[in-house]
Amino acid sequence: MKILLVDDEKKFAMMLSKRLALRGIEVDYVFTAEEAMAKVESNKYDVAILDVKMPGIGGIELEPKLKALVPGMKTIFLTGHGSAADFTAGSAEAAYYLAKPLQIDELIEILHEVTQ
Amino acid sequence: MIGRFRQLLGSLRPEFYHRTSEHLNPYFTFTDYRKIWGVGIFLLAVTALLPLMVVTVIYYQLIQKSVDSELILRTERVASNARRAVTFFLEERLNALRFTVNEIDYGRLTNPDDFAELLRNLKLGFGGLTDLSVISHAGIQVAYAGPFHLEGKDYSKQAWFAECQNCNFYVSEIFRGYRDLPHIIIAVKSFRPDGTHFILRATLETERLIQTLSSYKTGEHADIFLASRSGIMQTPSKFYGDLFEKMALPVPDYSPRTQTVMAADGQGRPIITGYAFISTQIADTPFILMVTKQKAGMMGVWLELHSNINWFVGFSIMVIILVVTVTCTLMVNKLYLADRDKAEAMAAMEQNNQLASIGQLAAGVAHEINNPLALINETAGYVKDLFVIKEQYSKDDELLENIDYILEAVARCGTITRQLLGFSRKFDVKIQRVNLNEVISDVLVFHNKEAEYRNVNVFVDISKDIPEIETDRGKLQQVLLNLVSNAFQAVDNGCNLDITALPEGVNKVSITISDNGCGMPEENLSKIFEPFFTTKERGKGTGLGLTITYGLVKKLHGNISVKSRENEGTEFIITLPIHLQEEMRKDENSFGR
Repeated sequence: MKILLVDDEKKFAMMLSKRLALRGIEVDYVFTAEEAMAKVESNKYDVAILDVKMPGIGGIELEPKLKALVPGMKTIFLTGHGSAADFTAGSAEAAYYLAKPLQIDELIEILHEVTQ
Repeated sequence: MIGRFRQLLGSLRPEFYHRTSEHLNPYFTFTDYRKIWGVGIFLLAVTALLPLMVVTVIYYQLIQKSVDSELILRTERVASNARRAVTFFLEERLNALRFTVNEIDYGRLTNPDDFAELLRNLKLGFGGLTDLSVISHAGIQVAYAGPFHLEGKDYSKQAWFAECQNCNFYVSEIFRGYRDLPHIIIAVKSFRPDGTHFILRATLETERLIQTLSSYKTGEHADIFLASRSGIMQTPSKFYGDLFEKMALPVPDYSPRTQTVMAADGQGRPIITGYAFISTQIADTPFILMVTKQKAGMMGVWLELHSNINWFVGFSIMVIILVVTVTCTLMVNKLYLADRDKAEAMAAMEQNNQLASIGQLAAGVAHEINNPLALINETAGYVKDLFVIKEQYSKDDELLENIDYILEAVARCGTITRQLLGFSRKFDVKIQRVNLNEVISDVLVFHNKEAEYRNVNVFVDISKDIPEIETDRGKLQQVLLNLVSNAFQAVDNGCNLDITALPEGVNKVSITISDNGCGMPEENLSKIFEPFFTTKERGKGTGLGLTITYGLVKKLHGNISVKSRENEGTEFIITLPIHLQEEMRKDENSFGR
């Protein structure tokens, strides 16, 4: 399983990818939507974990663009804020939302679920 | 019986008199409604009663004046008429004597037969004469005609004789004299051809005079009599003394005309006295004619009218005061109720605003905290991962334990921030048809064991008239769960918890959750929906439960209110619309406008 993690909180992204790596999951992390777009062109990812709120293009806006480039890639949203827009603006397929702070086991479970 | 009466009185008592809800005080426009009520009644009553009182007093005075002047006029008229009658009586007889001495010579007058004949003729012509006598200039009675034997009597030493010699005519007071019978003497002096003089004297009966006077007496409260100028009663009086007694009234000042005065008599009774000093054209007399009328007696009709007016005025005053009091009470109460509604609305609005602003702040803070919290979480998680997965420090239990503390604390913070966010989040409402009975049963399932264990009696009473309602099942469940959990925490073992639901109007239902637990003081009531307000021990409650409940009820377009008394229990009442969809549509329309 290969994952792309997009979050502007650099240290958080770094830490989370380290933890996932420790659990045998291959993770690339970037801090902006632009970097993410560039990344998917050269790599094949099974799942994208997107932070909803980022400077510039946020997760919700980024998701369809990534989908267009990599059809079939699953998406999980991370949110530090529980506004209505966060939860309803995503496409129908993007059914998974996780609130920060995360429970790592929950994330692993969901990752397995989406990649099955 | 007394209890029921008190109950009735209590229901009559206006709300403003015993105002409750102290926490609303700052929002009231007026503070002292009892004062407004009192001042209102006073001003209205004064405005209404003052003109009535003034008019009544003026009316009384006018009536009094007119009655007085009427009484004076009547008394004066009687006195004047009686004076003319008495004057005429005396004058007529004096004139008769004058005519006699001018017409008949001394010789015939002293002839007993002629003299007796003269008396008879005078009696026939005028009446009221008892006897006649001729007295010589030396004071010796030289001729007498009449029933007594008074010939030869010497009058030279008597006062009347001396006065008559000086004045030519004389009218005496009434006195007893030699005959010991009340009588009046009238006398005329005349001259004989030889230059000496003699006096023709007649004695008048007093009965004729008394009869004449009596004919002027009007009514039982009136009195008419003659008194001498020295105040001796000359005819008997009903109230002021008998014949020859001292008159019980002061002797009036001399006046040539008939006079009337108002005064009190010796016994303090107010009377009107008409008097006249009797004086004929020929001679002055010693008589004062007195006419009295007692005011009280004469004013009977007026007093009756007076009493009628008093009753009418008294009744009017009572009606005015009653109407003023009732009107004032109703108006002040309306004012109070309007003010209270306004105060409630303002308090609710302020609470809403406060909650909204606190909610925004809370959400902002929560969001800002969430990111660092997430970092702590991941960092601590990574450290733990290093311990557990890489087994580098897996032997060091103490380190592992401390890492767990950090993770637990982060998890707890996460719960709080999620709750805060949930409070402000406008997540979608999923409307479905909900059976209240089912929802309440679902909620109570969570507490079944506790109720059993703590012996808490849970009574559920859902009215059969309640239809299925359109609402968000999950949120309603959360609301009820919060309130039921609170109630369970508030009651002691063996207490009661009642859940009732009733239709309210056509479009609403109300759900009441009441317990007979510890209740809460009034000062807490207004704060319980505020975020972070808790009465629980530190760390036991977040103070967000009821805030979230409040927010949820508002999202369901409902209302929540609370009543509580310390040590008696608490009651939460939730009102929800039956058709939430419709309410939301209305809301959208009103916003869209």
